[in-house]
Amino acid sequence: MKKFLAVLLVISMVFCFAACGGGSSNEGGSEEAGDTVYQVGMVCIGDDNAAYDRNFYMAADEAQKILADKGINIEWTKTYNHPEGDPVAVDCEELAGAGCIAVFCNSYGMEPAMLTVAGDYPDTVFVGMTNEGSWKDDLANTVNAFPSIYEGRYLAGVAAGMKLQEMVDKGEIKAEEAVIGYVGAYTFAEVISGYTSFFLGARSVCPSATMMVEFIGSWGDPTMEAAAAQDLIDKGAKLISQHSDSTTPATTAQSNGVPHVGYNISMSDVAPEASLISSRIDWTNYFVYVIETIVNGGTVDQDYCQHGLKDGDVALTELNEAIAAEGTQAKLDEVRAQIESGEIQVFDTSTFTVDGKEVTTAFALDTDGDFAPDSEEAVFDGAFHESYFQSAPYFALRIDGIKLLNEAY
Amino acid sequence: MKEKEPLIRLTKRQNMAKSKIWLIRLGALVFAIILGGLVFLIAGANPLTAYGTILSGSLGKVTGIRQVVKTAVPLLGTALALAPCFAMRYWNIGAEGQITMGAMAATFFALNMAHSMPSPVLLIVMGIASIIFGAIWAGIPALFKARWGTNETLFTLMMNYIAIGIVGWLQGGPWEGKPGSQIIPMFDNAAVLPKVLGVHIGWIIVLVLTAFMYVYMSKTKHGYEIKVLGESENTARYAGMNVTKVTIRTACLSGGIAGLVGFMVASGANQTLYSDVAGGVGFTAITVTWLAQLNPFAMVAISLMLAVLSKGASSIQTSLGVPASISDIITGIILLCMLGCEFFINYKMIFRGKEEHKHAEPATPAVKTAGEEAAK
Repeated sequence: MKKFLAVLLVISMVFCFAACGGGSSNEGGSEEAGDTVYQVGMVCIGDDNAAYDRNFYMAADEAQKILADKGINIEWTKTYNHPEGDPVAVDCEELAGAGCIAVFCNSYGMEPAMLTVAGDYPDTVFVGMTNEGSWKDDLANTVNAFPSIYEGRYLAGVAAGMKLQEMVDKGEIKAEEAVIGYVGAYTFAEVISGYTSFFLGARSVCPSATMMVEFIGSWGDPTMEAAAAQDLIDKGAKLISQHSDSTTPATTAQSNGVPHVGYNISMSDVAPEASLISSRIDWTNYFVYVIETIVNGGTVDQDYCQHGLKDGDVALTELNEAIAAEGTQAKLDEVRAQIESGEIQVFDTSTFTVDGKEVTTAFALDTDGDFAPDSEEAVFDGAFHESYFQSAPYFALRIDGIKLLNEAY
Repeated sequence: MKEKEPLIRLTKRQNMAKSKIWLIRLGALVFAIILGGLVFLIAGANPLTAYGTILSGSLGKVTGIRQVVKTAVPLLGTALALAPCFAMRYWNIGAEGQITMGAMAATFFALNMAHSMPSPVLLIVMGIASIIFGAIWAGIPALFKARWGTNETLFTLMMNYIAIGIVGWLQGGPWEGKPGSQIIPMFDNAAVLPKVLGVHIGWIIVLVLTAFMYVYMSKTKHGYEIKVLGESENTARYAGMNVTKVTIRTACLSGGIAGLVGFMVASGANQTLYSDVAGGVGFTAITVTWLAQLNPFAMVAISLMLAVLSKGASSIQTSLGVPASISDIITGIILLCMLGCEFFINYKMIFRGKEEHKHAEPATPAVKTAGEEAAK
């Protein structure tokens, strides 16, 4: 018992530190007397070393400027390097407790933890970015968002296809050797939708193109991503692309003299001789939309759906003209205009087959909770309508021409 | 020819005054806090502000306190689980795996039986299943140790990786929710532990366990057997104790409690299962157990202290922009200093040329680590 009391004593001593330390820590908060500064939080899976997270930071900074011009002052608080799981709940509480009007969780796997605490903070809007559970649940303050990245993927695929076709035309490779190697995270709808749209874009300009996908079982792991890229190249890939969070596939491609198409951010700075272009989600619009809506007392849309190239929510980074095939920029502009006008539908069912047959029916959403889509016919008007019934991708068909090297993930 | 005296010699201390012991511990804490302050300075934060934020962020508001309690629950529960093993000098490093297996067993019922029984029954079934699985996971290495004398430290450690691997497989395989997501669906509400005062009921369970463990260790025959066996296996054998039985029984008790912790974490805190469910608690709890010198009540205080530091870490990250890993370093420094000071409590350093006190025994080599001594 004596020991117990002593430990209590020690703890109370630590308390005293709080007393003296607490006074000085409060000074920072009360500076802004006149203008309201709204607190906004973001829970991040990585930090600015990861391409994925850097893409969010760029948008967050941009949104802050745009909002300031509109007279809304915000301050971002970000927490970093979270494995997906319970620490996310701790941070959500921390941020909401600190008075954040919105808390953005930037990775798919964070949503379950976020949902366990969101109910306790009805005045804070919790955003499960790239996920799909929040809009369906019965909490009014939890929402989802996922811009239509498949459009950007398709366009990036066009740049890749142009490069491959040029290599074929120049006689550097045979037509049947136009193989794309793709580093994927998991055999997950978002990834499947991504590599399929990329492949369809590439094949629209390089008809002989085929694809190999190697999954790494992680959203981001620099070592594994590099190893997968190397393995794909060793197996004959002539161009590398990726759905993973770091830039090592780009550097691996460069050291093998193979062109590359990135994701999230421009990778031309780390791999100037390999990386052609990247597709990215530009979250700026969404950040501005959510924060502005909350500040003005409005209701944030439960699901931020059908926002793509046209609205600027999906973008391509600057084309690396030095290594891109001739005429790529002109072609990109043309295809972009066609996507925006609806002339090109990315998942046009006449452009692909599953088991040799054209797809005539496929469901979009799961309503009974068994995770197999069972409602909302996605195939109509000659195309599979991706991100139409909900923002999170649901295209999970295994189309012909794409070979999965491993399916364990 | 006189042999040259070593620069420092160590002698075992005896009968140090209680007050002096606590003075050393207090000194170690102050030293650790100063050292931690230097780390904050290097990281570009004002140490006073940083320590202040740690405390105000964790204890200054109700939500902070709730979070602290939520974090302390698995730490305390696991430390209690480890206590009987360590008292027996049986090095159970496998709490991580036992927690994971317990959580897995509970999850099985949460996923499959949520609609076939009322919530209280379901929760009890989940709890019992988690105890059984935790106990089995701890019992296997104990059986091998008792029968074939295998090394339990390595065995229990390796069992961790198997348990984590099994859950990793379930996560991506049979229990996966959306295909490819590697995420097990959230539990039905019926399988979620109810809250009392804003924190899941696990905090009451671990407090009851604390009292149980105190009584078990100091007032029962089992507790006595464990202590005798810890002091000397031969003594225990001469006294007619069944060493095999006591070893396996104690390990199973330990694993069972760890398994129950897994249930509380999965059902109370996470409301789902993932391979990192134990989150290093199984290892941190080892430190808690040692720091508390196997005293269950001291464990309450120490796990709360660690929880304060952990919650404070996220506070300084959000309000001062200091990376949470800096707080981990400081937590590490504090723990190291607190454990390290036990060395100075147990041993006395004699520098070259200094006279030994007249009662000091001849210098004995300090082969035991401070940690081992702390068990005494």
